Amino acid sequence: MTDAAPPTATIDEPGLHITGEVALGFPPPPRTYRSVAYANTSPDVEHARWLTVRPDGTVVCYTGKVEYGQNIRTGLAIEVADELRVPLDAVEVVLGDTALVPWDMGTFGSQSTARVGLQLRKAAATARKALIEMGADRLDLPASDVTATDGRIASNADSSRSASYADLIASQTITNPIEDEIPLTPKSAFTVMGADHKRIDAIARVTGAAKYSQDITLDGMLFAAILRRPARAATLTSVDASIAERMPGVAHVVHDDDLVAVLADTDEHAAAAVNMLQSQWQENAPKVSTIDLPNILLESGHDPYLMQEAGDIDAGFASAANILEATYFIPYVSNAPMEPRAAVAAWDGNNLTVWAGTQRPFGIRQELAQRFDIPEPQVRVIAPEIGGGFGSKSPYPAAHEAARLARIAGVPVRVAYTRAEEMMYTSMRPAAVITIKSGFTADGKITAWQFDAYHAGDRPFLGRRGSDTPYDSPNIKVTTYTSDSPLATGSYRSLGAAANHFAREVHIDEIAATVAIDPVEFRLRNLSHARFRRVLETAADKHGWQAAAGSSGSGQGIAIGVDVGSYCATAVTLDVKGREVQVDHVTGSLDCGLVVNPEGAINQMEGSIVMGMGTALYEAIDFQDGRVLNAGFTRYRVPRSNDAPHIDTLLVGDPETPSTGAGEPGIVPIAAAIANAVYDRTGQRHRELPLHRYLK
Amino acid sequence: MVTIHINGAPHEAPEPNRNLLSFIRFEAGLTGSKYGCGEGLCGACTVLVDGQALRACMSTVGTVAGGHITTIEGLADGDDLHPVQQAFVDESAMQCGYCIPGFIMTSVALLNREHYPDRRQIREALSQNMCRCGTYQRILNAVESAASNMAGGAQ
Repeated sequence: MTDAAPPTATIDEPGLHITGEVALGFPPPPRTYRSVAYANTSPDVEHARWLTVRPDGTVVCYTGKVEYGQNIRTGLAIEVADELRVPLDAVEVVLGDTALVPWDMGTFGSQSTARVGLQLRKAAATARKALIEMGADRLDLPASDVTATDGRIASNADSSRSASYADLIASQTITNPIEDEIPLTPKSAFTVMGADHKRIDAIARVTGAAKYSQDITLDGMLFAAILRRPARAATLTSVDASIAERMPGVAHVVHDDDLVAVLADTDEHAAAAVNMLQSQWQENAPKVSTIDLPNILLESGHDPYLMQEAGDIDAGFASAANILEATYFIPYVSNAPMEPRAAVAAWDGNNLTVWAGTQRPFGIRQELAQRFDIPEPQVRVIAPEIGGGFGSKSPYPAAHEAARLARIAGVPVRVAYTRAEEMMYTSMRPAAVITIKSGFTADGKITAWQFDAYHAGDRPFLGRRGSDTPYDSPNIKVTTYTSDSPLATGSYRSLGAAANHFAREVHIDEIAATVAIDPVEFRLRNLSHARFRRVLETAADKHGWQAAAGSSGSGQGIAIGVDVGSYCATAVTLDVKGREVQVDHVTGSLDCGLVVNPEGAINQMEGSIVMGMGTALYEAIDFQDGRVLNAGFTRYRVPRSNDAPHIDTLLVGDPETPSTGAGEPGIVPIAAAIANAVYDRTGQRHRELPLHRYLK
Repeated sequence: MVTIHINGAPHEAPEPNRNLLSFIRFEAGLTGSKYGCGEGLCGACTVLVDGQALRACMSTVGTVAGGHITTIEGLADGDDLHPVQQAFVDESAMQCGYCIPGFIMTSVALLNREHYPDRRQIREALSQNMCRCGTYQRILNAVESAASNMAGGAQ
């Protein structure tokens, strides 16, 4: 664990190495791509190593993706095991260590199975082809007369004539490029893929052996506690460290530009001393609070982006039989992963190693190289197990803080955020206000749809996601705006799609109630998209949907959604007692195309549903004058086991359709399904989240 | 100076006021017990003291002096997982896994005091812990299954 020196390339070691293109459909990093992008290969080699069949016949594959709960380690191992005809336990997956794996943009957008999985399958198929040729030679048979099976190449005519991968490779060192057009195993021949598997990392997770960035310690390491600003945009005007310096265990008080920190022998000593720093601040945050937020979003909306347009929206409303207008509000919510972020940095001369639980190890490597003006290969970023992130661990200031402090202290330094720091000084899911105006006929056909979404924050694409309507209408105008944000916003599972879906799917329910048509029937009348219809019909059917118009009292609700190319419908049944909502039963139907690992996809659906339930019912970050008022679990409620519903998940995708993401779609319809079910139960129509605050 | 036993091994702690979780993680080097909130609200730091669940983040070494502490690392018997650990594996009751040691320790404590818990009792007992990945259904299934496998305290 104290190896701070970047390792050298290892494709010189014995084994069958499969190399291939680095950038996988994403643009390579600017300029630096050719010289440093290759990670596990020496810089002058065109291709990175993706997979090695070791001399003992086991397989190791490499990707710059990271594991933060989505179980890609198992999913990727399954794909490789199937293509290489080896048992699942013969496959090791190396993730997120910039010294060992191919360059990768980062783990987000549910891309791992779709892109990296395909690349690793090609690498494995390329290795299998080479092993078949070697085996045919060894057995003195034509390649067409042998088969790869269970880690061996065997004669088709006489299966007792065979050679294991280990025998074939022995001490050779072979390097072959990935054949991009190599035939992949057809679905009919899958033996590992598509079946249920235990996670390959499950034992480490139940024994405490799994190491997260919070768990990394190095010899001689000091624990840091950082002086945090009291409010957003506050600047430090003075600091007096005279007391803190004399506190027990304190080694240094560092004041480096905007970074003030105590370094001590224990985390407790550091935390005690940082509290004794006497600091004064100039506060610059706008004097606004939670209550002002909807108006801020509406009034500051700028840079309108026309996301979708059809027909003539004004003519559509002029001729509409009925018109409904409503405004929806979605507050800031905290990603609040269970692991507050942490980083440990160690310098060896001008070589820097940082353990950081980030979704972007290569992005952080580039940032650190620029900060310290050293070549990227001299920076090694290792992402160990990551205790959740849900999007927020792409930016990772803890890595910078640890590296700066370690440089100054001359010893390794650990920076570990407290719960309050994690919820106060990272990013929130953007708040949004969405206005919808719809026109429709008395028999329930939408004839005009105008959707204006005002999402907080300066990254406009966040709010565009999922704003376009899947419903048929001759006249459509969907516009997204970028609005000022009193708090720092960032990525969160599905980005703005969850907010857009909440507004749209509640509004659809409102139209259905207005024309007195059952919500499922109403959706089907306005939905010609086959994949949407299938998820909707299967979810309603499996859930035992009882067709009813308006508020039936039974507490059922439904909504549909699409995200990262996957389609989803969610039906819920719940009860309401005062302001407490007990969600009893949820049925989620997911079409993510070919399912590699059903257990993984179902687990992700369940997680998305529970997380989205929190945003529907309880979660909202409150702020005043740049301060987060509820940065901790005393005043920020999240779902617990006694809130958890029974969840049935249906995987209804067509196996011939390419795999799309499973980690995010489940969160987009759930909040609307719950709000619609609350209406069905109580007759109260709520257009603002979280419902716990607004229920009467 | 106080002595505490962690997974059977004695540890000397010079400062009785030392935070128990910090001591377990950084002095004893047992990082399976996690920091999640530091306020006793999430349960990620749960350990057993003489078989009962304790939030290590809210305790000091002095308060458990003389006691026998079991952490997640001390639960398995060599390669043989505790039935609760095995049930979490079998039910794939985990995603990121950060909360899982705490859930397992809370579950073991529950099964120590209540050999035949029903689903409602399990839900209530485990509501002291948080899983942000939302794997509750699997966790509840795992504990129910472990309870049934242990059939009345055979541990």
